[in-house]
Amino acid sequence: MIELFKLMRNKRMFMLMIGFILFIAVIGFSLSDRKELTWPEKFIKDTSAYVQQWFYKPAGSIAGFFEDLSELRLLYEENEQLRITAAAYARDKVNYNFVQKENERLKEALSFTERQKQMYNYNYLIAQVVSVSNDANNRSMNINLGSKNGIKPNMAVTTVKGLIGLVDSVTPYTATVTPITELDESSPTFNSIAVTVMGREDTSFGILSSFNTETQRLLMTKIAETDTMTVGDTVITSGLGNVYPRGLVIGTVETKQVGDFGLTYTATVKLAASFDHLTEVFVVEVPALEDAE
Amino acid sequence: MTINRMIGLMILLFIVEGAIMPWIIPAGYGERIITHFSFVMVVYSAMYSGRHHALLFGIGFGLLQDIVYFGHLIGAHTFAMGLIGYFTGVLLERKRATIMMALSMVGIACLLYDTMIFFIYKAFRITNETYAWAVLDHILPSLFIQLAFALAVYVPARRMFESLTKLKTDEEEQ
Repeated sequence: MIELFKLMRNKRMFMLMIGFILFIAVIGFSLSDRKELTWPEKFIKDTSAYVQQWFYKPAGSIAGFFEDLSELRLLYEENEQLRITAAAYARDKVNYNFVQKENERLKEALSFTERQKQMYNYNYLIAQVVSVSNDANNRSMNINLGSKNGIKPNMAVTTVKGLIGLVDSVTPYTATVTPITELDESSPTFNSIAVTVMGREDTSFGILSSFNTETQRLLMTKIAETDTMTVGDTVITSGLGNVYPRGLVIGTVETKQVGDFGLTYTATVKLAASFDHLTEVFVVEVPALEDAE
Repeated sequence: MTINRMIGLMILLFIVEGAIMPWIIPAGYGERIITHFSFVMVVYSAMYSGRHHALLFGIGFGLLQDIVYFGHLIGAHTFAMGLIGYFTGVLLERKRATIMMALSMVGIACLLYDTMIFFIYKAFRITNETYAWAVLDHILPSLFIQLAFALAVYVPARRMFESLTKLKTDEEEQ
């Protein structure tokens, strides 16, 4: 005890101890399940995002110009591919219109409620990335839409290629996106995502539980033994649970193996989206369930 | 050089770090090369303008980083930057560090900083990768960009931070 008091007489040691306790307290406070950020946080985030958007976009367009120059030779090939896709799209569009009309008519005939009809009517909000975190274990990025634009926590964020993450915290004019690479079962701050396979939405099911940073692959668990999922299938969100929207592309199945207890299968999923040099992202707004009862 | 202008410059550096550096790092290396420019400046302030300035800069910019990019927890960067800045100051404040000394200090401080951040996240189970993997994946590759930046700003940073202390001692003499 006397030793401890001697230690405390050293002012530097004492301050270090106080600092350490304060640090643990702040971490504990920030780790707790907070619904909303405090106002100083909101103020600082909004201010910095406001300034950062002047830098991020011009830098992006300059970098994009040089990237375009180097990819000029691939342009012909890409154009060819796009033409084929456009032809396929035109063909499918006719089919889609018929199916949609039919679907609406059937919903009418079955007297669906307004809520059921609007359930899958998603709204895509276009947002600009304004900054990316420089912390290896927390690769969050800020976008320039916030609660004033209707962004809420847990909304899915995608690019044209696929899902990149979920909205984590919201301020009036910005939102922080946690990338899907932070997905972790044991982490207290991220939920798992229910997924299925494109083309067999009604028969395949799995849960994306964690991301392995060492192999850069997502781990999908809880796949039923009878599931016909195969390597190369496109993984999309299933929308079961009504938290995340359905039909967002995540990646492709790379391997499939028997899980830990031999009862279910697990699979590794390669991400479709890339996280470098992001500019526009889409925030998927799920129609509010309570106001359409 | 007054302290207000120094803070302004460092805020600008902090903003550039988040908004422009992601574009300069080539695609595919975004996860591996992580810049800590404001931390390098904190280490410089410890060497050339004293441990108390370093502590203030470290806590201030650490907190800014924690809040602006809040993902899991607040406080990790604040604590690491403040502590490492202060102890670099305790070690080297009285000596006039040469360029080699300064660069090796920046290198060691960056390694320590990344290690500390890694173990804080590990302690709260936010990451579950191993330390050996983290060293090879991002700590060592990003060390080089930190050293390159430190070398590039050595002369202006030293002049600015030294003028910061000179101003203070002049005031004390009067």
